[in-house]
Amino acid sequence: MCDIIWCKKCDTVNYLDPFNFWNWEGKIKCAGCGTVYYIHMIQGHMYRGPEERPGEEPDILPLYADKPNQGYEKILPGTPGKTRPYNCLPREIYLGRADHRKFSIRGYPMRAWAPQPPSAGIAGSHGFKWDIEKLSPEVWQEFLEKKKKGEVKDW
Amino acid sequence: MLEKERIPIEEQPGPKSKEELDANKVPFEEYCKKVFDPGNEFEKPVALKGVRWMSCTMYVFTPHAVSNLAELGAEVVKIEMPRMGDPMKHTSPFNECYYYPLHDERPMTGQGIGCINCNVNEYFITMDYHREEMKEVFYRLVRMSDGLTECYRPGTFDRWKQSYRYLQEINPRFIYVWGGGFGYGPKVFGGSYDILGQAHAGLASVTGFHEDFGGHPVKHTNWCIDWYSGTMITVAILAALYWRRKTGLGTMIEFSQVQCATRCLGYGVPLYGRFGIVRQRWGNWDTQLCVHGIIICGKSDYPDAKNPQLRDEARYVMVSAFQDDDFKELCKVIKREDLWKKYQKFKDRVEAEAQVEIYDALEKWAADKSRSEVVKILTEAGLLAMPVYNDKEVYESPHYRERGTIRWQFDPIFGDQLVQSTYSCGLLSKTPRRKYWDFRPVGADNVKIYHEMLGYPISQIEEWYKKGLI
Repeated sequence: MCDIIWCKKCDTVNYLDPFNFWNWEGKIKCAGCGTVYYIHMIQGHMYRGPEERPGEEPDILPLYADKPNQGYEKILPGTPGKTRPYNCLPREIYLGRADHRKFSIRGYPMRAWAPQPPSAGIAGSHGFKWDIEKLSPEVWQEFLEKKKKGEVKDW
Repeated sequence: MLEKERIPIEEQPGPKSKEELDANKVPFEEYCKKVFDPGNEFEKPVALKGVRWMSCTMYVFTPHAVSNLAELGAEVVKIEMPRMGDPMKHTSPFNECYYYPLHDERPMTGQGIGCINCNVNEYFITMDYHREEMKEVFYRLVRMSDGLTECYRPGTFDRWKQSYRYLQEINPRFIYVWGGGFGYGPKVFGGSYDILGQAHAGLASVTGFHEDFGGHPVKHTNWCIDWYSGTMITVAILAALYWRRKTGLGTMIEFSQVQCATRCLGYGVPLYGRFGIVRQRWGNWDTQLCVHGIIICGKSDYPDAKNPQLRDEARYVMVSAFQDDDFKELCKVIKREDLWKKYQKFKDRVEAEAQVEIYDALEKWAADKSRSEVVKILTEAGLLAMPVYNDKEVYESPHYRERGTIRWQFDPIFGDQLVQSTYSCGLLSKTPRRKYWDFRPVGADNVKIYHEMLGYPISQIEEWYKKGLI
C-alpha cells in the first residue's frame, strides 16, 4: 500500500512509499506548494494527520508527486527541494547499454569491449591464452602507458 | 639393531624431550601460514585428479555442484547447446555488463557476469545431445567419464535414452546426478529457481522483520540457495565416489532444491512437530540471544560518497552482548544502567518486549554516531561489534587479502578478474582448491574434446558444426 497527502491548497498528490512511512511520525513538505504537514502512521494506517504545521521545518520530502487534476503534471524523484532522490536501486548507475571497459579498477587489461577481432578457430574453439600484444596491440600500448604513469596497482 | 649399536637419545638429532619438542614448534600462526600458503596452490597436487565429469547443467545451482569438483581437480566437460551456451551467460546484470563477446558470430552481444564462479576450470563443448546423430558421441563420453550432472525436468533424459537406467548399462560405475526443483512426487513438473526454493521450503517466511515492524518475508538478494544446494550435491557426489571405491558400482543421485532448502529451517520443523508452533520472523535480532543483532546508526561512514549504497547504507553494525557481564557493560556504555537493572536475567531480556526496548535504546544511542564510531566505542569496551560490510569493504578487508579469500587473477581469456569463490571455500593444506580459469567461451574446447580426446577427425567436427549439432 502507499498512502498519500493530497494537498488541497495546490491540488498536489504527495506519495508516501510504504516502507519509509509504515511506522512513522514526523513532518513532510508538499512538493507542490511547500506546505509542511505532520503525520503519524502506525502499521501503515494514518493515525494522526495530515495537519498543517506552518513555519516548521520538514523531516523528509515525499518521493514522488503529481497533479491529477492538472493534466497529471509529475514531480519526479530527486527534484531538488521538492522530492527526495530514489536511492533504492540495485546499482548506483544505470546506463541501459553495454558498458565497455578495457581496464579493471586496478588498471590491468580486461577483454570486455566490442567489437574485437574474431578469435575462435574450428567449431568455435579457443586457445588458452589471450595474446593481448598480438590481438589488441592498442590496448597493450595503453596499458604500458598507464604503467609508466603509475596508474596500475596491485590492489 | 643390537643394544650396543643404539645411539643414546642425547646424541640423536632433534628434540630430547616433549617439552623441547613443544618449544621448537613454530607459533601456530606461522605454522598455518606455511602449510596453507595462499597464492601458491598450483605447486600442490589436486585431490580429485583422475575423476572426469560431464556437466549438462545450466544457471547456478547444478553448475556449482560440478564446479566444486573441478576446483578440487576433477576434469569436467561442460556441454552447452550449440551457438547459445548456458542461459546464465546471457544474464546478470542485464544491459550493461559486457563481460566478453558472447560468440565470434555475435561480436556486439555481450556476455553477462552471472555465470562467474559457476563453471570454474571446466572444458566447454557444444552438443545438441538429444539429436539422434549425437547419441553415440554422448555415450562415448559416458564410457570415459565417472559421472554426469544434469538439470532438465525429471524424465527428460530418460525420454532421450540417456538417464541413469540407460547409462549404467554402458558404464556400471557411472554416477548420475539429477538436480532440479521438486523431483519425483506430486510436483514432478515443477521447475526450479532459487527464490522458489527459499519460498517453498519455508525459508522466506522466517527471514526479514515481522509485519509489526514494517517487514515482509524476505528472500536473500543473491541466490544463496542455489549455491548452498549445489554444494550439497557435491557432498553427495563425493560420498558416491567413496561408495564406488568400495563396491565398484555407480549411483543415481536425485536432488530436489526445495527439499535441500528445508534443512535451513533449523529447529523450526521439529518445533512445529512438538508444539504446533509456527515460527515467526525476527529480522535482524535473535530469538535466542539478546543483545545479538544488527542496529542502525545515525551517520554513514561515507557521508560525501556519490554512491547511495555507501552514502546512505554504510550505517549498520552487528552488536553482540548477550552474556550478563557484557550486557551490563553495554548498558553502561550507552548510559542506560536502568536497562541492566530491569533485565538482569538472560531470559528476561530475550523476551520480545524487552528486545524492542533494548534495541530501541541502542539505536537512540547510536543516532548521533557513525558506524565506525559505534564499532570503536563498543570494541574498546570489550564488546563484539562489527560493521555490516558491503562489496567494497569486503574487497578492502585485510583479513580476506591475507588469507587469499579475495584476490586478483589474470584469466587466460578474459583478462584481469577479481575472484573470491574458489578461495572462500576453506583452506586445504595438502590439496587446496584452485582456479585455472573461470569459464570458457561457447564451444571453446570442441577440438580438444572431440578430436584430441575422442579421436573424431576435424572434418567430422566441421560437418557437425555446420549442421548445428555442435
